[in-house]
Amino acid sequence: MDNMFLLFILAIINGMLVDNVILSRFYGICPFLGVSRKTQNAFGMGIAVLVVILLATLICWPIYYYLLIPANIAFMDTIVYILVIASLVQVLGLVIKKYSPVLYKALGIYLPLITTNCAVLGVVQSNSDMQLSFINSLANAIGTGLGFLIIIILFSYIRVRLDSSNVPKALKGIPVALFAASLMAMAFLGLVGVIKI
Amino acid sequence: MSEDTALIISIIIIIALLAIFFISYIYYRKTPTPSNCKNLKIDSEACKRCSVVNCEFKEMNKDIKKEGKKNE
Repeated sequence: MDNMFLLFILAIINGMLVDNVILSRFYGICPFLGVSRKTQNAFGMGIAVLVVILLATLICWPIYYYLLIPANIAFMDTIVYILVIASLVQVLGLVIKKYSPVLYKALGIYLPLITTNCAVLGVVQSNSDMQLSFINSLANAIGTGLGFLIIIILFSYIRVRLDSSNVPKALKGIPVALFAASLMAMAFLGLVGVIKI
Repeated sequence: MSEDTALIISIIIIIALLAIFFISYIYYRKTPTPSNCKNLKIDSEACKRCSVVNCEFKEMNKDIKKEGKKNE
């Protein structure tokens, strides 16, 4: 039992730092660059992505193993996941819009951005491609969501400093942000091999 | 399971998921925005990078741009 818990925690750390969704797999670059100019916005986006990734995994795992595989239509997983994620985001938006104005004020604005966030699709797709168990899929989802949150917040601090620094005109904005992101990716590359599961 | 059955099941799944998506979309649009959230604006850079075409915030940003041009 303790061993399982340890593996669960290691899988989360692996998804969060070692195999980071943005820096090593280059998923979710659009919101990463688009919403990282202010730390407050980055935090809201990161939390929204974490929630959606977790819910998408909870819904997509049973669909894959109890519906697509028994019906022999596992090849349809990608299109099913896209529709499930799009519907999930709509339903989540609807629920928080109706019942929690405070939460809607904090997260609602980021929900449409998540519909097309490939990080969410990437996680559920990799869960089924790697044939992960439910617990491992959950750990992968939590790790990936937390990884997205940490990186987008760290990057927002860097961008705040970049915006106030003297950058050549040709590199202002997105180009210098991409340079910073590549340096960050190289720094995180140092963590590869730290965890072996 | 035969190929025909698998094909029928896959079509049913796609139709069901599309129906869920459109119903949720319609309800989302019909649900009134809370009064203190009516002036929520998304960062224009984030809006440019998002590929959702019919998002209410994108439409809001377009309206603001149009009003700005009129005022100029």
